[in-house]
Amino acid sequence: MSVAVSHISKRFETRGHRSVPALRDVSLEVKTGELLALLGPSGSGKTTLLRIIAGLEIADVGQVFFSEEDVTEKSAYARKAGFVFQAYALFQHMSVFENIAFGLRVLPRAKRPDAAAITKRVTDLLQLIQLDGYEKRLPSQLSGGQRQRVALARALAVEPRVLLLDEPFGALDAKVRRDLRKWLRQFHDKTHLTSLFVTHDQDEAFELADRVVIFNEGRIQQIGLPSELRQNPANEFVRDFLEL
Amino acid sequence: MKRATTDPWLARYLLIGVTLGFILVFLIFPVCVILIEALRHGLAVYFSALSADHSINAIRMTLMVAVTVVPLNTVFGVCAAWAITHFKFPGKSLLVSMIEIPLWVSPVVGGLVFALIFGRQGWLGKWLEAHEIQIMFAFPGIVLATAFVTFPFVARGLIPLMQAQGCAEEEAALTLGANGWQLFWRVTFPKIKWGVLYGMILCNARAMGEFGAVSVMAGSVDDKMTMPLQIENYYQALGPDSLSRAFALASLLLLLSAVTLAIKIGLEWRRLAPSYARPPKPELVH
Repeated sequence: MSVAVSHISKRFETRGHRSVPALRDVSLEVKTGELLALLGPSGSGKTTLLRIIAGLEIADVGQVFFSEEDVTEKSAYARKAGFVFQAYALFQHMSVFENIAFGLRVLPRAKRPDAAAITKRVTDLLQLIQLDGYEKRLPSQLSGGQRQRVALARALAVEPRVLLLDEPFGALDAKVRRDLRKWLRQFHDKTHLTSLFVTHDQDEAFELADRVVIFNEGRIQQIGLPSELRQNPANEFVRDFLEL
Repeated sequence: MKRATTDPWLARYLLIGVTLGFILVFLIFPVCVILIEALRHGLAVYFSALSADHSINAIRMTLMVAVTVVPLNTVFGVCAAWAITHFKFPGKSLLVSMIEIPLWVSPVVGGLVFALIFGRQGWLGKWLEAHEIQIMFAFPGIVLATAFVTFPFVARGLIPLMQAQGCAEEEAALTLGANGWQLFWRVTFPKIKWGVLYGMILCNARAMGEFGAVSVMAGSVDDKMTMPLQIENYYQALGPDSLSRAFALASLLLLLSAVTLAIKIGLEWRRLAPSYARPPKPELVH
């Protein structure tokens, strides 16, 4: 499934009367099966865009499309985009198993798999993230990299049509970061799940993504293949940011 | 080891002594007086004082009020805390302050406001009388007054707790397709359940002990006396048994406070427990 946003603008109300523009007339398409990176300095609006796509934030102007379907008016709960949060947002009081099973357990009765099917699905996912045997642990008993993978498995359990990752490796140390990066790229090559991830690390964006979108001050500066961006930076900001 | 802030020993002992003295005079001594007075004539008298008609009536009334008010204010408190911590709306900080009004206003004034609304000369008095609805000097009035006084307890405890926890887990549940009901019961409630219980216990203690507001609403109708009102009644009555009955009922309220305190301490301990009762961290495998 492809994801598109069209002429999205968003301002944040701050205390007093001034409001800060977070996004200004942003249009973008993530093609089916693509792994796209949103790259930019912090505060450039990339996380806001990701949250608008998931339905966690509402744009002031503009539309969001999942394939041909206009989901602008739909709630996060109806959109069911797979979302991996920066701080993982795992359910602290639930075991790893229950965290991953959550999306299946809250399905309406008619669509909910039976207990055996849920166990099978969770076990498969645990294998995929190489954490089999960890199902009884609580999130507080896992390392950062393990939490990150559980968050990913939880999002994948409901077979989302799109995967949105907010600074997925932000809080991890360098080695774990590199391993997970490689793992995610392999996972994407296997599944071709349409994915969009936010990062401020250009190595990460360039190594992992098919195409990279460079963001600054709520505007898209340039979209392209990593090689294109390096060869033909569109403006001074891109040249500066990529240290060319 | 020398500490950064070392007070001279004199100041230290003086402060500790003053604190202990105050606690003895103002907290321990009255408690002892109540117990001594209640049990002065032996256990038989004590129990007969508790089982006097008026005492039984008051105990029943107090229990009924608490059983009605505590769930009411729990539901309200959770709703308010949820709204305040999960939604952005104008006037939010004003609302947070307004929830605390009952803590600032004298309970008697709170009771009088309801009397002004529901009393015979009040705004709704004529209409209520025409429809034969009894609020003043009746159970509904006592519940209203108690609910007013105990209004903030659940909400006030939950708001900072829920603010500290943030909405990240709720957002995750939303993107996983949970509806509002599932979100609350599966994600939010397990995080706040001890906070809710804590608020309910404080609310209950206050509900059972309230005097001022309830006294305005109950007037002097004999069978509408809650325990605190009945204690005052006994105390003023000057009959042969009334003083021992007053202290017997008071000792019962005291027992309630002791239980409340015990549960409160238990809960506080419990909320601290996980940090050192947690199983050892597993070896980190990436």
